Amino acid sequence: MAIPLAYPVRSLLVRKWTSVFTAGGVALVVTATVLLLTLVGGLQRMLASSGEPNNVVVLRKGSTNDGVSQVTRDAALALRTMPGVARRADGEPLASFELVNQPFMITRGGGREIVLIRGVEPVAFDVHRAAHLVQGRMFRPHVGEVVVGVGVRGRYVGASLGGEIEFGRRTWKVVGVFDSGGKAFDSEIWADVADVQDDTRRSNYSGVRLTLDPGTDFGTLKQRIEGDGRFTLEAKPETDYYREQADTTQTLYVLVVTLAVIMAIGAVFGALNTMYAAVASRTAEIGTLRALGFGRGAILRSFLGESLVLAGAGFLAGSALAALGVLAVNTLLSGVQFSMMTFSVATVLLHLTPGSLLAGFVIAGLIGLVGGLAPAWRAARLRVVDALHRA
Amino acid sequence: MSYTRLVWRNLFRHPLRTLFTTLSIALSIFLVCAVLTLPAAMERIIARVGSSVRISVHHEAGLTYWLPFSYVHKVRAIPGVAAVNHFSWFGGIYDEPKNQFPNFGLDPDHVLAVWPDYKIDPRELARFKRIRNACLVGGATMRKFGWQVGQEITLRGTIFPVNLTLLIVGTIPEGAGNPLVLWFNREYLEEAMESQGGLRGVGMIWVRADAPEHVEGIMHEVNELFRNSEAQVTAETEKSFFMGFFGSFRTFMRLIMAVGVLVVGAVVLIAANTSAMGIRERIPEIAILKSLGFGRRPILLALLAESGTVALVGGLVGAGTAWGLFSALSRAGKTGYSQLLGPLGQFQMSSTVFAEGVSVALVVGLIAGFVPAWNGARLGVVEALRRLF
Repeated sequence: MAIPLAYPVRSLLVRKWTSVFTAGGVALVVTATVLLLTLVGGLQRMLASSGEPNNVVVLRKGSTNDGVSQVTRDAALALRTMPGVARRADGEPLASFELVNQPFMITRGGGREIVLIRGVEPVAFDVHRAAHLVQGRMFRPHVGEVVVGVGVRGRYVGASLGGEIEFGRRTWKVVGVFDSGGKAFDSEIWADVADVQDDTRRSNYSGVRLTLDPGTDFGTLKQRIEGDGRFTLEAKPETDYYREQADTTQTLYVLVVTLAVIMAIGAVFGALNTMYAAVASRTAEIGTLRALGFGRGAILRSFLGESLVLAGAGFLAGSALAALGVLAVNTLLSGVQFSMMTFSVATVLLHLTPGSLLAGFVIAGLIGLVGGLAPAWRAARLRVVDALHRA
Repeated sequence: MSYTRLVWRNLFRHPLRTLFTTLSIALSIFLVCAVLTLPAAMERIIARVGSSVRISVHHEAGLTYWLPFSYVHKVRAIPGVAAVNHFSWFGGIYDEPKNQFPNFGLDPDHVLAVWPDYKIDPRELARFKRIRNACLVGGATMRKFGWQVGQEITLRGTIFPVNLTLLIVGTIPEGAGNPLVLWFNREYLEEAMESQGGLRGVGMIWVRADAPEHVEGIMHEVNELFRNSEAQVTAETEKSFFMGFFGSFRTFMRLIMAVGVLVVGAVVLIAANTSAMGIRERIPEIAILKSLGFGRRPILLALLAESGTVALVGGLVGAGTAWGLFSALSRAGKTGYSQLLGPLGQFQMSSTVFAEGVSVALVVGLIAGFVPAWNGARLGVVEALRRLF
C-alpha cells in the first residue's frame, strides 16, 4: 500500500523555513548551472549558424582566419571567374572580395576595444544571404560610408544610423544597420573594400567568400582552387571554418560541467542534513505508519518522494531565476562581450536552450535522489517497536 | 563545563550533520577560490610583464596600422629615454595552422637595454646578435613545441608571403620575461621581403625610460611629437597596454563572478538551515541554561562560535584544497603536461585569494548562524520551558 503524496508534501509545508532554505540552495545551484550553459549555448549558436552551407572560404594556405590571411588581387580575380562559382540573376559572380581590419574603437563607456571591420563590395549581401539591411541604405564606394551590425549599434560612440564613427585614419559615416540573425557578422562593421584598402594601405584582400554553384560539388572546386600553381590558397566550407573557430567552446563546456558537479555535491550535503533531520523528528510518525500496515517500501518511497519534491521546487525556482538572469544580461548589458577568433570583440547573447534547462533538471533530480536516498533508507529500516517506543 | 567544551560537545552531537555542513562549505569555498583565481592570476601576469619604466608606442588607430621606421630614431632622441626597440609582427605559424603564437622581428642590439628584467643569458644574447637567422624563444613556447636550443625551425608566414628558417640560440626565462614570444632579427625578414616589395615600417615601438618619474613626460612628449603627422600615435605604459587586451573579458568575468555569488548564496542557505535545525532541537537545553542563570550574551556567543567553527574549518579545507590543486597543476604544467593543461597550468592561487576564501567562509558561518542563534538566545525562559514539558 502506498502512502499518499499529500503526506510528504504537507510534511514539507509544516517545516516551511527548513524546506524553503533547502529548496533555495538547490535553486541557486540550478540557476548557476543553467546561466553558464546559456553562455555556452549562445556561443555555439552564433558560431554554428554563422556559416552558409554552400559557401566557401578561400584564404592563404595555412591561415586559420581572415585576420591573418592575405590574398592577392590577381588570385581574387581568378577566383571570381572560376567555373563552379554561382552567379546572380544578372550574371554577377557570387564572389565577395573581403579585407578584414581590426582597429581600436572607443565604447560609449570610454573603453577601448578591437572591432572587426570587413571591407566588402555590395555583392557581399548576396553571398552572405542572411545579412540584410534593417535601417538606412547600402554604403556608396570611396566616400567613407559604412553599415554596422545590430550588435555594434549603440555600443560605440556614434554607432547608430546617421552617426559618425572614428576608426583607422578617418571619420566614417553610418548610413545603414544590418542584421544577420545572430551570426558573427552582427558584431562587425562593413565598409567599402576600396576604402578599407586605402585606410590600411593595403592593395590585396584577406580572403574571398564564394557561393558554390549548385551543379558543382565542393571537392571539384577545392581541387581547382588549391591545384592552381600560380597561387597558394586553401578552400574550406564556410560551416567548417566557423566550426573550427568554435573549438574554444569545448573547453568552456567542460569547465561549466565541472563547476556544476561540484556545486551539486555541495547541495547534496544540504539535502542530506535536511532529510536526516526530517526522519529523526518524525520517528514516532514512521512507527505509527508502520503499525498501521504501511510497508518498508512505502516509507522509503515516501521519504524519497519528499526529497524529490523539495528538489523539484528548487528546480522550478532556479530555472525562473536563470530565465530572469538571461533576460537581464541580454537587455541591460546587451549580451556578453567575448574576444575570440582573432582579437576582435564579439557580442554573444545568452541563449536559453531546452538542453540547458534539462541539465538543470538532471542536477536538481540528482541532488534530490542522492540527498534523499540514505535518510529514506534509514527511515525504512526503523523497527516498529523501537520507533513507537521512542514516541 | 567551560564554554569551549560546550561548543565542542555540541559540534559532535550530530557528527554526520556537522561533517556534511563542513563539506558543503568546503566545496563552495573551493569554487569561490577557483573563480577568484582567474582574474587575480590575469592581473598578476599583467603586473609581472608590465614593467614600470617600459612604454608601448603604437599607431593611434590600432595594432594593424604600422608606424614609419623613422619614428624609432625620433623617439630615441627624446630626453629621458634610456633605450628603444621595435616589434614587427610576423604572425608565423609552426607546423600546423592552429599552432599560433606571438613572433616578432626586432633589433637584437637593443634587447638587453629595453628588457634588462628578462634575465636573458648574456652568451645567448651575444649569439643572437651575431647569427643572422637566430631567434630567442620564451620558455612556455619551447616546451609547447618540444624545441631545443640549437634546433632549426621554419615559421610559415601568413601575413607575409615568405617562410623563415630560424636557429634557436636561447631561451627567454619563464618567470622573468614573456614566456610565449619568439624574437628574431628584423633585418632577416627585411632581406626575405626584398623581392616582395620590401618591408615598410614597424608595428610597435618599445621605450624604456631611465627613471619611473620620467615615464609620464616621455609619453606626453611622444604623443605631441607625432600629432598631425602621417601616423598619430598612442603612448601608454606596458601595463595599460596589456590591460587593453584583457578588457573585453570583463563582462565574461562579471558573469563568472555572478556565479560565484550564487554559490555563496546557496551555501549560506544550507548552513543557515543546519544551524537553525540544531538550535531548534536544543530549545529545552537553552531553556535550562537560562533558568540556571546564563544570560543572553554567553548563549548567543556559544551558538555563534559553533557555526563559526564549522564555517572556518570548511573554509580552510576548501581554500586549502584549491591551493593544493592549483599548485599541483602549475607543477604539472612545468613538467611537460603543459600542452594538455593549456592555460590551467599558468594559474597559481595567491595568498590573498586564500585569505578571501577563508573570510568568505567565516562571514557565511556568522550570517547563517546569527538569526537562529539570536532567536535562541532571546527565548523567554518560561516559554521555552513550556515547550519542554
